[in-house]
Amino acid sequence: MAGEPKIRLDHVSKIYQGAEGPAVAELTLDIDPGEILVLVGPSGCGKSTTLRLINRMIEPTSGRIYLDGDDVTDVNPDQLRRRIGYVIQQIGLFPHQTIAENVATVPKMLRWDRKRISTRVDELLELVGLDPRVYRDRYPKELSGGQAQRVGVARALGADPSIMLMDEPFGAIDPITRESLQNEFLRLQEELRKTIVFVTHDIDEAIKMGDRIAILGEQSVVHQADTPERILAYPVDDFVRSFIGAGTAMKGLAFERVGDLDLAPFDEGRNGDGKPVGTITADATLFEALEEMLRTADGKTVVVDESGRPAGVVELSHLSDALRTAQDEARRHYDELGAAS
Amino acid sequence: MSEAVTPLTARWRHGRKHSVSTVAMPTGAQLWHRYSLVLAPAFIAGLGLVLWYYYNSLGVGTIAQIQVSSALDWETKLKPQLIQHLTIAAWSTLLVILVAVPLGVLLTRGGPRRIAPAVLAVANSGQALPAYGLLIIFLAAMGQGGRTVVVALVVYAILPVLRNTMVGLDGVDRSMLEAGRGMGMTRMQTLLRIELPLAVPVIVAGIRTAMVLNIGMATLAFLIGGGGLGITISSGLKLNQDAVLLVGAITVALVALTFDWFGALAERFLHPRGL
Amino acid sequence: MDGLHSWWEYVVGHGDDVLEATLEHAQITVVVVILATVFSVALGVCVQSRPTSKAIALAIASIFLTIPALALFALFIPLVGPGDNPAMMALFLYAILPILRNTVTGLDEVSPAVVESARGMGMSSAQRLWRVRLPLAWPLIMTGVRISTLLTVGIAAIAILVGGGGLGTFIQGGLTRLGLPNSVESVWVGTVFTVLLGLALDVVLSLVQRLTSSRGLRA
Repeated sequence: MAGEPKIRLDHVSKIYQGAEGPAVAELTLDIDPGEILVLVGPSGCGKSTTLRLINRMIEPTSGRIYLDGDDVTDVNPDQLRRRIGYVIQQIGLFPHQTIAENVATVPKMLRWDRKRISTRVDELLELVGLDPRVYRDRYPKELSGGQAQRVGVARALGADPSIMLMDEPFGAIDPITRESLQNEFLRLQEELRKTIVFVTHDIDEAIKMGDRIAILGEQSVVHQADTPERILAYPVDDFVRSFIGAGTAMKGLAFERVGDLDLAPFDEGRNGDGKPVGTITADATLFEALEEMLRTADGKTVVVDESGRPAGVVELSHLSDALRTAQDEARRHYDELGAAS
Repeated sequence: MSEAVTPLTARWRHGRKHSVSTVAMPTGAQLWHRYSLVLAPAFIAGLGLVLWYYYNSLGVGTIAQIQVSSALDWETKLKPQLIQHLTIAAWSTLLVILVAVPLGVLLTRGGPRRIAPAVLAVANSGQALPAYGLLIIFLAAMGQGGRTVVVALVVYAILPVLRNTMVGLDGVDRSMLEAGRGMGMTRMQTLLRIELPLAVPVIVAGIRTAMVLNIGMATLAFLIGGGGLGITISSGLKLNQDAVLLVGAITVALVALTFDWFGALAERFLHPRGL
Repeated sequence: MDGLHSWWEYVVGHGDDVLEATLEHAQITVVVVILATVFSVALGVCVQSRPTSKAIALAIASIFLTIPALALFALFIPLVGPGDNPAMMALFLYAILPILRNTVTGLDEVSPAVVESARGMGMSSAQRLWRVRLPLAWPLIMTGVRISTLLTVGIAAIAILVGGGGLGTFIQGGLTRLGLPNSVESVWVGTVFTVLLGLALDVVLSLVQRLTSSRGLRA
């Protein structure tokens, strides 16, 4: 985590008038360039409020907000927001404007010339997987929920902001479409390398989408902010443990690949006894390996290369070893952190 | 009178389908209705007080103001005019209810249902019908007198009640009727036990509109010998006496506002519980 | 049939007068409705986000609409004398409620998500009003304008009673000559042309409504 953070929240608090305590209390958080940071926590913990503090949809009561090292706590909020993409669960497309006009909203406000806007709109629609020739002149009411949120993302990317704020962007979309939107969005991010702050209440979505996850409790207190692997391997307290819930070990297996293991040798005599043996490839995750073992009710599964030849065997002990290693690594990491501070 | 705004509104929102909730209680208007209930009597009381002081300051009954005095005498002018005014409005409103509600029920059932949209369209554009012209046309056909006024008023005020009856009945959720029929209710029973009770708020709103229209139009009754408070306003105009004009106009305004407020109360308390 | 024939004769015979009165009637209506629209939409925008002001504005506007026309017309005479002026002032007050109410309802109905996303993209409050909230409320506002127009056309016919002009002159003329030839025809001309003017203006306004409302908002 060297270099300057893209976004820095420095002891930011939000206190609503008449409220008992602060909605966000003294939050300090750095977000690195090009990462997806997921804010996750139970409902009412202030994660949306935190997100909305960054583009100052909500003005902080105290503390400073920095973008690229510049203090933006007091700059004109409208100007600030034109530099930051913003995607919300309810999408909020303008029903009276065509898809093209919707996507052109920010470039128009920035007074780009007409040709540049038009090219940009086409480019963005292509990017989110909508054919511009078909969709440019449609109106939002003619779109399905999934298509509408693609347009929402395209619109947020309008003037190519380096930061995107996303508040449960896929929360209102049916599970199947959501899955494909998540995958596409991750693929998009490979190309775009935006700095993204992503709010969700769904830990599985957080694990899937996040380069890092910040688990927030009451008043947006950060209980743990780290990579999904480390959080799964080593929840720092009971709050985090109960929030990530059951199946932690299984979820953790999804982060390691079979190819990275020291495989047991494949033994024709022992393994080729005609029993149905599950096979997987080297780029499968350990989770998939476990799935295969369970499916075949066997304590092992055979790894095959591209041509289908057996290359080795994954055994149950591999999996438990991998988990133990991850846990040890995480514990060491936190010990070092503890020692340093 | 205000409810005249909603049917078109509802039409715009839902295309051809009306819904009870949008007609009876449009979004964000609850507070307004509550304010109307409180503000209107305050306004009426204030205006009444102004009228009282103004009337007393005129010195009605003294020789100096002989024209004003004779035009504004309570026992011989204002009181009988007020009674005439209210009688005309009451009769015409009653007759409107007796004609328009059954007609509205009929037009939302079976065969006649098909012409319902046309009737609604006429009802909506009927707002441009000049009360004045209608009154004189009836005068030419039926001669002078209170009876003519009442008939003209019924024709004029039938539209809002008819429209709201139809819209109210039409807005009742079809699934409730299905449920009623499913429990073995006859068509008459679903009408009397489900449709009409649910449509009551909308129908009452229409009746309130009709009543306000009738009170307003009764102001013109004097033109065809029907009497009413319009006489005082007209005397003020003829005599070029602002005092007479003002007393007449304010009295009429007070009557209209007071009865509109009664209508508002009725609307509020005739709401079926649970809506 | 005979009545219709003599009516038509009367219209043809008095073509210029009918046209003139119709135009005057239309002029009164159009001026009143334009002023009422500007006033009511501006007021609606100001009060929409303040529940108390909103309720009070609507309550007052509905009080105006409750006062009988002749009374309200008459109330202005001591201020401005007889003629078109007191009539137009009263008609202005009448025309407020439908437009004000539909403006407020239209703005109320704009989805909070749409406004939130507009704000999130950096639209200033003026941009949000002009580019998002008003265009979305517009079809409903225009419906209010149409209702006010019909109302104004109908009520303007009694402007004659306070010394104003318009198609009411034919009704009044018929009344004063009742029993004499052509008196009933005159009343019918005033009445029918008032309704026709109302319908014509409504057709024009419905076209304007269609042309000025986004295709994306049609049901």
